[in-house]
Amino acid sequence: MTLILFKDIDTPGLTSIDVYEKTLEGYQALKKAFAMKPDEVIEMVKASGLRGRGGAGFPTGLKWSFLAKDVFPRYLACNADESEPGTCKDRELLMKNPHLLIEGMILCSYACRIETGYNYMRGEFWEYESVMEKALEEAYEKGYLGKNIMGSGFNLEIHNHMGAGAYICGEESAMLSSLEGERGEPRMKPPFPAVKGLYGQPTIVNNVETLCVLPFIVRNGAAAYAAIGTEKSKGTKLVSVSGHVKKPGNYEVPLGTPIIDLIEKYAGGIRDGNKLKAFIPGGSSVPILPASKADVPYDYESLQAAGSMLGSGALIVMDDTTNVVSEILRITSFYMHESCGKCTPCREGTRWMYQILSEIQNKVGKPEQLDLLIDICDNMEFKCFCPLGDAAVAPVVSSIEHFREDYEELLGSLKTGQPVGTT
Amino acid sequence: MFIFTEASEARIKKILAKYPEDRKLSAILPLLTLAQEQEGYITPEAMIEVGKRLDVSPAYVESVCSFYTMYYTKPVGKYIVKFCINISCHLNGCDNLLEYTEKKLGIKEGETTPDKKFTLLKEECLAACCEAPVMQVNNKYHVNLTPDKVDQVLASCP
Amino acid sequence: MNTATQTDTVTLTIDGKSVTVPKGTMVVDAAETVDIEIPVFCYHKKLGPFGCCRMCLVEVEKMPKLTTACTLAAGEGMVVKTDTGKVEKAQQGMLEFTLLNHPLDCPVCDKGGECPLQDHTFRFGPPDTRMEYNRYPRDKATPLSPVITIDRERCIACQRCTRYSDIIEKDQALVMLNRGFQNRVATFNDQPYDTRFSGNVIDICPVGALTNTDFRFTARSWELTNASTLCGHCACNCNMTLGARLNEMKRITTRPNDLVDDGWVCDKARWGYDFTKSKNRIQQPRKQGQAVGIQEACAEVAASLKKIVEDHGPNSVGFIGSGYGLNEELYLYQKLFRLNLGTNNIDHKTYTDTPGLPVAHFDLLDVETSDLVVLIASDPTEELPILDLRLKKAVTQRGVKMIVLNDQQTLMDKYATLSLRYNIGSDRVVLAGLNAALQGQAPESNLEQATGIPADQLKAFADKIKTASKVCVIYNPAALSGGSVHTLKQCLATAGGLADTTVGALPAAPVTNAVGAMDMGVLPDCYPGGIALTESDAIKTKWGDTAPLEKGLTALEMIEKAKSGELKALVVYRCNPVVDFPSGHEVGEALKKLDLLVVHDMMETETAKLAHVVLPSNGPGFDEGTTTNIGGRVQLRTKGLTADNPGDWKIISTIAKELGQETAPKDVHAVTAEIAEKVNGYQGIKRSSIRKEGRNREGFPSMNRASVAEANGSGDGLVLRVASVLFSHDKILDAESPLAHQFQPSTVHLHETDADALGVQEGDEVRVTGNGHEVKAEVRVSNRCNPGGVVLPKVSDEQGVMSLAEAGKALSRVTIRK
Ligand SMILES: Cc1cc2nc3c(=O)[nH]c(=O)nc-3n(C[C@H](O)[C@H](O)[C@H](O)COP(=O)(O)O)c2cc1C
Ligand code: SF4
Ligand code: FES
Repeated sequence: MTLILFKDIDTPGLTSIDVYEKTLEGYQALKKAFAMKPDEVIEMVKASGLRGRGGAGFPTGLKWSFLAKDVFPRYLACNADESEPGTCKDRELLMKNPHLLIEGMILCSYACRIETGYNYMRGEFWEYESVMEKALEEAYEKGYLGKNIMGSGFNLEIHNHMGAGAYICGEESAMLSSLEGERGEPRMKPPFPAVKGLYGQPTIVNNVETLCVLPFIVRNGAAAYAAIGTEKSKGTKLVSVSGHVKKPGNYEVPLGTPIIDLIEKYAGGIRDGNKLKAFIPGGSSVPILPASKADVPYDYESLQAAGSMLGSGALIVMDDTTNVVSEILRITSFYMHESCGKCTPCREGTRWMYQILSEIQNKVGKPEQLDLLIDICDNMEFKCFCPLGDAAVAPVVSSIEHFREDYEELLGSLKTGQPVGTT
Repeated sequence: MFIFTEASEARIKKILAKYPEDRKLSAILPLLTLAQEQEGYITPEAMIEVGKRLDVSPAYVESVCSFYTMYYTKPVGKYIVKFCINISCHLNGCDNLLEYTEKKLGIKEGETTPDKKFTLLKEECLAACCEAPVMQVNNKYHVNLTPDKVDQVLASCP
Repeated sequence: MNTATQTDTVTLTIDGKSVTVPKGTMVVDAAETVDIEIPVFCYHKKLGPFGCCRMCLVEVEKMPKLTTACTLAAGEGMVVKTDTGKVEKAQQGMLEFTLLNHPLDCPVCDKGGECPLQDHTFRFGPPDTRMEYNRYPRDKATPLSPVITIDRERCIACQRCTRYSDIIEKDQALVMLNRGFQNRVATFNDQPYDTRFSGNVIDICPVGALTNTDFRFTARSWELTNASTLCGHCACNCNMTLGARLNEMKRITTRPNDLVDDGWVCDKARWGYDFTKSKNRIQQPRKQGQAVGIQEACAEVAASLKKIVEDHGPNSVGFIGSGYGLNEELYLYQKLFRLNLGTNNIDHKTYTDTPGLPVAHFDLLDVETSDLVVLIASDPTEELPILDLRLKKAVTQRGVKMIVLNDQQTLMDKYATLSLRYNIGSDRVVLAGLNAALQGQAPESNLEQATGIPADQLKAFADKIKTASKVCVIYNPAALSGGSVHTLKQCLATAGGLADTTVGALPAAPVTNAVGAMDMGVLPDCYPGGIALTESDAIKTKWGDTAPLEKGLTALEMIEKAKSGELKALVVYRCNPVVDFPSGHEVGEALKKLDLLVVHDMMETETAKLAHVVLPSNGPGFDEGTTTNIGGRVQLRTKGLTADNPGDWKIISTIAKELGQETAPKDVHAVTAEIAEKVNGYQGIKRSSIRKEGRNREGFPSMNRASVAEANGSGDGLVLRVASVLFSHDKILDAESPLAHQFQPSTVHLHETDADALGVQEGDEVRVTGNGHEVKAEVRVSNRCNPGGVVLPKVSDEQGVMSLAEAGKALSRVTIRK
């Protein structure tokens, strides 16, 4: 099968521009793109069917076409904040193939007539900052960045920008706040970044993986990309398979690959001879599913139909030794920790849920608390300032729906012990 | 008083050049990071200095600084050991490993060893889930951890 | 806004009611116009949409999710529902979240009875809470500053206070620290939050988290009698509510009037009203140090004045009033001196100025609607604080450009596109140069040498005025030296003649009713309503044939004549020449020579100590009448407290009656009515017409005056500029004031070149001498003024800086020694 993102990813020295050029037709897409009008590149990306890989799955070409007309300067902000629990695909790209991202950023910038791009990397990625910095230097040296790139008249500057530890900065508007030097709190939408983004100017925010697909599309044409995957979910997807599997790892698969194949064929199956119990298909923000849904094809539509989402492409696998409640407690604690605190339902709700789940986990909970949890979720869902609140709700509601017995097991037993009120 | 070193000044110049001239506030995180690199943690004096550079109040700097988890406003050890405790690591036994490390260093999570060498912290997902369990020592990732590997990593810290 | 056409509005439906509002109006505000209450916590009109508390969720047709009405601009044809089951559930949910970590201690909370959280919970809240855990531990009441208490336990993180600090006050002193449920409102390093406008956060906090330390537990809100009154400090005349209990001032809160204060007050308004209960008040009349009855005191004053006039002629008596009086009081005093005593020896100030403007008298709102504001010799931050906020808003939110022309650095420089600093004392030359530049002429060749401002910069300044479509000039006549206010008015006249530019001005002398005092004719050369003495017919028609037409003495001249013995009697009303006049240290000696010194004042002053007769003045809080602010807006100041003594107007009328005046006003409002009848520009001013938001009096043309350069002071040394300080330690803010922590030490600001030449350094204790006087001060090498000058902030009465200035001279010089 065709590898687009991970083709020769483990080639030694791939982070250097020479190896990249030799091994992967590196920067060849630029010539092709510069021969086209920017709008033609946008049309091409639209035709490819590429959808954003950061989590929302929004059609990339369409997003680009929303840029406020004739307003300049425009900015590109590459979302390399990768912080969604279970997700580690962007890190692998950044670490092993920085030039692929740079090439993708150049293509996006050319199509969108952007002259300045920032690569917002999560603060913990300091090790890879130097990799990126070196790659950028090389690209400037070779004339792929800077003024009048390859004689096209197109100028582009790309800078790295490091975050400093905040999951919410992966949310695009919070990322822009952070990039502007503010607290990483999300902003009101509308206006959307494409209209008023960084520094109040039209801005494209795309995920690392999304941008890394662009060189392939430009080189091989929209059709070549659209030929892969399903009718509505085109192309390949990097899936981070983690948890109770024998060979956890990032795997590039055509969209539509059955989940069971990801677990069995790619990740080597459930380890220690145990059985599959549950999986979260798209990172901690999406509903958890039971083993019975393992034959669902891994694509946007099928997962939605199954009651979950593809999200950031992180498949977290749990075997039958797991009590789901303790994992949901972990995730809830994460959201409590990462809630920016700006809006009331998210700030208060995540903590309240954490308190209740802790009691249940510690076997001092009460059966009524399940209904209470569901009602708290109902009061939060779609009512918070940004989608983080909804993300916090999804695992709780879905786990009660699919794994009520795990809760009941904890609720039905012991009734003694200390209540855990505060953290 | 806090003073940026000459080497830092050279980097500040480069950092500021990344952003439009009237948007130098964008450099607040990089500048705080520099200040922290210099002193190990961020002092009120450093916040005042960063505020002066970027034309914002020290309160503003503190507000931004306190939002992000990677800034320390109290002294920390020479090595900061951060254990990922999120779901993929959790499914792979990070709890035991953290406990192991606590015993090994003789401190609890959140504490610093008396010799000021190690500070042990819990960390949310570090984006290395397929190589769980994971920890970061200062900026370096250590993956697929086992007790032995933890021992090795800690021993390799001079 | 005032010319709303069809396309500027949108019509939407809220709960079945059709609502038409200006474009850009938020749905919450649109609902309010038809009395539909959408509950809010974080939303505040002046802070703009933020959307964090989620209390205002509503259903909007065609939108799948509930939406926050505070962030949603009303759209044409929008259908909004605020009363569906879905909305009610959401409201209950949000209140439950809001209350999760909020203590239910309303009975002991200071906000109880006026708390949006309490009210909303009652109206929209869940029947009970399902929370069973301990609240997140947070600090209970702790000081945020000496005057503000923060109870972090009660904070609901609406960020109103921190946004206020950022958006309105623009100094980001109060911020949000940390994140998530651990976030907290704080200052840098937990230092006190003691800005000039800090108290507004108390009013906007929707819960009892931020409270007035002074007021806490001294009364419950429902026990207060609230008076809608005006602030009596600076000349902005902000609207405020004075809450009293048992006839004692308890607290001051904002009473928004967008035309004046935009909804805010400064901390001097909020905590600078302890003078109403100060033990330093003049409690009762006294004669030669002995307490006497009001009637007796008035009779004594009248008899003595009458006798002196009979013996020495009408010009042997004089009146020095001040801009602290109400229009009614000032009007009556000038009338008494003119008509009952026959003299024009009437004044209220020590600087040169005349009533009227050659251009329109702009109001405060014009600051926002102009495209260029020119700030001349004014330091709003210290002198007219609420104007400081308005200017910041104009520049940062309305895109107004600002030019600052001053002899000293001010906080406004930061907001100016062009900031020019002239040498202290060179204002006349600068303004003449500006006038020339406005007329397209080259300035005098020595301009830069004389003023410190390069000619091309002055030209750039003039060009900016010429290319603007609406220019608002704000100037402080009290800070212009010599007769340069006339040069300024010539500039205004020139600018006013520009073809495509509308020009208006605000004369911004800082004293409460400075404009009113001018309008009321408390001037030696001008009758009320800007009627010059030369207009004898007009004067005779209005004031009768005996109205004096001879030019009277200015305040400084009266002091001179008192010294020389030519002036025999002086009535000093609400001012303290011994401290506040130039050469103040010599004023006392002069006053001692008078046969009669009457001081009519609110507080015991150095001048009152010298008086033969002392009369009590009620002043703000107790008095009632009108004031005219820098925007020419006349407003009603009502009383919040009842005084034991009769009103000032009554005392003045009693003296007049003793002097033979036949008619007496029956109350102060009768005086207001008389002003409306007699004073040009005040025709429409009635109690009923000004009650709500005041009303602009009509401006009058300026009396054209040639600019007469006054002589410079003697000696050499550095040129002195005395600067105003908002929280000055004087009779109003005494040592017991809640604002005492804001008092500053005596400092002298030098340019580094002068500091070097003098061999002094930052922090040095020095003696500043001049005019036979000495002031101790600490050195600040601040470059606040150009080389050759010094700035001395007037930080207290005790400091005595005014004595360094030579009376009647355009500039004074001082020497500095360690
Ligand atoms: C709470 C939250 C966290 C997010 N974190 C990330 C992230 O770490 N990386 C990312 O690419 N997108 C993240 N997103 C999605 C971004 O908001 C945005 O949709 C994406 O970067 C757009 O790029 P794409 O169109 O290429 O997917 C997050 C969204 C939310 C609501
Ligand atoms: S202190 Fe009051 S105004 Fe400030 S955030 Fe808290 S509740 Fe809001
Ligand atoms: S008032 Fe609308 S979200 Fe707070």
